[in-house]
Amino acid sequence: MNCEVCHLKELELEHFEIREILRCILHTIIFHRALGLVRPKDVDLELFDVTYVQCGEVEVENKIEEKIEQFICWVEKHPNKKSQICLSFYEVKNKQASWFSNRIERLYWEQWYINLNVAQHLKSHSSKSHHSKFVDPGDGTLEDRNARSAALEVSLREVLFQIIKFVNEKKDHVPPIPNLEGAISFPYEITIPR
Amino acid sequence: MTTTSSHAQTEAAKTEQIITEFFAKSLHIIIESRALSASSRNFSTLSSPSSTSSSSSSSVRPRDKWFNLALRECPTALENTDLWRHSNLQPIVVDVVLVHRNLSFSPKVRSFVKERNPFEEFGGGSEQNEKIVERWVIQYESKKIKDCSSSNTANTTRRSSNTFLQNLYKKSTLLLRSLYATVRLLPAFKIFKELSSSANVSAFSLAHRVSTFFEPFTTKQEAEMLKFVFTPVDTNSGKLCLSVMYRPCVSDVSSEPTTPLSPQVITDYVGSPLTDRLMRFPSLPVVRMPSHGSSPSSLPFSRRHSWSYENCRASPPAVNYYSPSPTHSESHTLVSNASSQGYCPPSSLPPHPSEMSLLHKKNVNFDEYYPSPNFSPSPSPSSSSPIYSLGSLASKTLLRSESAPVNIPNAEVTYSPGHTSRQNLPPSTPIRISRCTSETERSRNLMQSCTTPEKMFSIGKESQKYSGGKIAPNSSPQISFSRSSSRSYQDEFDDTDFTCPFDVDDDDTTDPGSSLIFKEIESINLFSTANHAHQTQLLKFTTK
Repeated sequence: MNCEVCHLKELELEHFEIREILRCILHTIIFHRALGLVRPKDVDLELFDVTYVQCGEVEVENKIEEKIEQFICWVEKHPNKKSQICLSFYEVKNKQASWFSNRIERLYWEQWYINLNVAQHLKSHSSKSHHSKFVDPGDGTLEDRNARSAALEVSLREVLFQIIKFVNEKKDHVPPIPNLEGAISFPYEITIPR
Repeated sequence: MTTTSSHAQTEAAKTEQIITEFFAKSLHIIIESRALSASSRNFSTLSSPSSTSSSSSSSVRPRDKWFNLALRECPTALENTDLWRHSNLQPIVVDVVLVHRNLSFSPKVRSFVKERNPFEEFGGGSEQNEKIVERWVIQYESKKIKDCSSSNTANTTRRSSNTFLQNLYKKSTLLLRSLYATVRLLPAFKIFKELSSSANVSAFSLAHRVSTFFEPFTTKQEAEMLKFVFTPVDTNSGKLCLSVMYRPCVSDVSSEPTTPLSPQVITDYVGSPLTDRLMRFPSLPVVRMPSHGSSPSSLPFSRRHSWSYENCRASPPAVNYYSPSPTHSESHTLVSNASSQGYCPPSSLPPHPSEMSLLHKKNVNFDEYYPSPNFSPSPSPSSSSPIYSLGSLASKTLLRSESAPVNIPNAEVTYSPGHTSRQNLPPSTPIRISRCTSETERSRNLMQSCTTPEKMFSIGKESQKYSGGKIAPNSSPQISFSRSSSRSYQDEFDDTDFTCPFDVDDDDTTDPGSSLIFKEIESINLFSTANHAHQTQLLKFTTK
């Protein structure tokens, strides 16, 4: 089985926007791959007028939040660096006990790369705009911030439609829906940069 | 060969069932996110905190299991199910209409007009513009006979049949997931959110109409819309297609002044001690709809006119008395908001030649796209005139299971009681329109196309499951349909033991990597009584 890869359009965002953006993208992808019984949950973003869908599984929510926190820690240690988060879906191969390893082998059948460019301003999470003026002249005025925010919203929508298009166009590589309880049909992992 | 042909027949029957359920689910997804009558947007708010787990089987309704997508109850969508469709070859077209009403009348004017024209229920005589903001088309395109070679039937084995059905079910599930996400990303959803959450009386409203046909847009109208086509899902005999045409920039309803619902004190009412006894109410001309060949008592959709909203505002008003909203300047604000605040789609969508020009379009034309509907009963069953009605209509011909894909042991024979007496009724092509504003208007236009009481009777038996309304057998078409009672029939649905071969069996402990959605059901008497109907439908597939 081939592994389909989707590189999502890069998003330029600020530190305070990371959580909502990542939640939106990760939940949207997982919703499309949670082929067990789901009760969809609509979530309105606070930053933008965008509604995305969660699959409603608490475990999924917790796992995503955990990974987002880890990513934010990484961003704070590596400011102004482009980053990539990978959401992978895999199948578990039969355990093969061998001389060398007893590991469970994973066969990845789909990988999503979320590309982010976090602009790390010194006072980016502060609500006081005059501080940002003094500390970082490149931060721009409130108008610039609004323009960036509007551009990010457009880009986010593009990314969401990119996900939808990919899900629509590529279906053959998705494994058959297993007979499992819960919404999550396929195991997945979220990999953040180290 | 007999076994092979029986496999093929079973596969065809199951394929048709999947397609039928796909239509119903798609319709449900679209309407629940556009019908303002839906109570709550979130499923989680309807369920108790303890039952948020998807694996809780106690709160799962049978029909939720189809495509593993549990949607909140939406009686509007369920009314519009395939009761009135003859076969899966008929498409479902859902038009989402943005209705703009002129709230320039003060409450006392509205009540005055109501007294004089009690039948002008809708809007109380206010002017109204309607615009199709979305058109969803769900259809099953069947392949030509020569493409469906007989070798397909001959080579159908049990394993290949199972594989094919699993694949079809999986792809349909994926398509519905993406549909669910897409309806929430389109501009009309923003309007739906705003209108759903607003407690004020808005000048805007969302309506939708469902039919089996559509009048194509004009070139100009098409130029104003974008199209998104979902990748079709192939079957042995055709493909499931789903597409939407939508306006990329829709008026921002929140920027429009709204009428608060708080009561207003009228101090100078007739008879008030503060007023002269002989004071007359300001003389008002009779409020008429813009006369374009339609009668005042006809519905808004009966009007055929091509005036733009701007032109309408500039013309001498029919009523002299205005309250200060919206004014002409505000109407310009409305128009400019449509282009500046409306959501414009991302560039990743299929590009449209005039996409960018729409962003700067200033004139918003609320054109009427549909011809005047024929409100008289259709002279022949084959008439394709749109008929505006609500409630259950005639001709339920599609066999549709109202339960989940449930595994049936070989010896078990259960099916929904309501499906035993299903008949192929004479065709008709009704259209339903759901207005979220006037219940009286709905009840007045119910069942105008219903042809025979016989149909009503047969519907009456079954539609109790679908409508919840009290439909008396052999009743006249003037039947009021009570939407509020629809919940009771849904409970009937959920209690059915109707079973279906497609199952997500919780008892199975299969390897996650294996594909065990479908188990071969050798002796399903599920199809035994409906086999006749199935074969009739199959004949339609194969003979075309």
